[in-house]
Amino acid sequence: MLRLESVGLRYGQGPEILKDVNFSLESGDFCFLTGPSGAGKTSLLCLLFLALRPSRGLIRLFGEDVAVLDRPGLALLRRRIGVVFQEFRLLDHLTTYDNVALPLRVAGRREASYRADVMDLLSWVGLADQAHAYPPVLSGGEKQRAAIARAVIAKPELLLADEPTGNVDPALARRLLHLFVELNRLGTTVLLATHDAKLIAQAGAPVMHLEHGELRAA
Amino acid sequence: MNSGTPYRPGPIVPPEAAPLKALTVTMAVMCYLACLAIGALILIDRAVESWTGGLSREVTVQVRPVQNADVEAEIAKAEALIESFPGIKAIQTLDRATAAKLLEPWLGSGKLDDLPIPRLIRVTIDEGAPPDYAALGDALKAKVKGASLDTHKRWQAELTRMARALSTLSFAVLFLICVSAVATVIFATRTVLDANREVVDVLHLVGARDRYISRQIDGRFLKTGLWGGLIGVALGLLTFFLLGLTGTAGAGGVADASRSLLFAPPDTAIWNYGILLAVPFAATLISLVTSRMILIRMLRAMP
Repeated sequence: MLRLESVGLRYGQGPEILKDVNFSLESGDFCFLTGPSGAGKTSLLCLLFLALRPSRGLIRLFGEDVAVLDRPGLALLRRRIGVVFQEFRLLDHLTTYDNVALPLRVAGRREASYRADVMDLLSWVGLADQAHAYPPVLSGGEKQRAAIARAVIAKPELLLADEPTGNVDPALARRLLHLFVELNRLGTTVLLATHDAKLIAQAGAPVMHLEHGELRAA
Repeated sequence: MNSGTPYRPGPIVPPEAAPLKALTVTMAVMCYLACLAIGALILIDRAVESWTGGLSREVTVQVRPVQNADVEAEIAKAEALIESFPGIKAIQTLDRATAAKLLEPWLGSGKLDDLPIPRLIRVTIDEGAPPDYAALGDALKAKVKGASLDTHKRWQAELTRMARALSTLSFAVLFLICVSAVATVIFATRTVLDANREVVDVLHLVGARDRYISRQIDGRFLKTGLWGGLIGVALGLLTFFLLGLTGTAGAGGVADASRSLLFAPPDTAIWNYGILLAVPFAATLISLVTSRMILIRMLRAMP
């Protein structure tokens, strides 16, 4: 599913942010990524959802070497990955409904074909009443849930989430964790980057610890 | 949301992209100027065609009074000689009074009886089979005292040179307008993309192909180019219409030229309006192709 070999990353001529990162995830794995702020968690996730290219090393996703894929091939690979960004990255001019439906729309689905799925998911994350609301009027927690709904709507094979419960109360955090676990049971590989020790304890999943750009099993 | 109610998803690129409004105004101005330049090109082309056509259908024989010669007799000899050449359709000799009238602007309307006024013979030729000008000129020189042949070649050459200079100038103006339009669209595309960077990034990250992203942006530039073009051409036609109203009919000035452009006979009007109405489509094409190229280059800079 996902394999990194001797991956290094530096921005421009700066120091290496990630050094010799080696790890792999098999289909159906559920794993946490922890580490102090600035350790390189977000950079590692950016490499995994193909927003950055590594300075060195090999990344294989779904059996493909991402370094040799052409642009349409990379776009198709991204459709198999769901991403929850730390800063949500919702589009302010689209309603919550349209934001959540965006990956399906980009994949060429007609609105009538996904309406029920999107509304079900919005109900599940407690945003059914906010379907027509625009992101600027949503609270931080609501934005977080909308971002999660957008990441999972297309039933991705790999779900990457950066602090997915950072802006919600403990009860909702548990509910969202339950959503991730359910998705994992249905076959989605999940990698969650978080500082939330309680969440990690509740899930009881393996943990990778990133510090000073180096990765080790916790 | 009711599953039976039709719902139209919101536009992926925000509709109120301010730089595009400014671009519509700029494109309208460019198209207006293009319209004026094209109108000028058409009018120059028609005027030169009409002038050179008139000059090439006629030649002039001049008979100067010379000592010890009866000018009327020389004119009669010249007429007979001209008529003997093939390729002559008609001749018309201007009498002394008419010839004197032609000199009035230079010599005044005083008594010109004592002056040796040259006489003119207007010769209409058969354009399909013109006479041998060199032979006609030589024969006139040899057999008629004081006669010379003017084939208007020098005037034709001057007019053609002037027309070419004006046409080149109009083409240069058109070229500069196109360059400015491309530069403006490049600037506007960059501004629009910078303003919608987050939209492009998110689309890219949820798996949109470059083609999908550029289609979303293309639509906006298509509308902008077309609207700008239509407004520009409408203003251009209005300008020609107003110019046509302002002058005196038949005076041969800008007013007549504008009227001849707008109210030409059907076969000419199709060309006039066809060329002018091509401007919005050219503007749309410039807008679309330029923005697409810039967008693709920017997208390729993304991983």
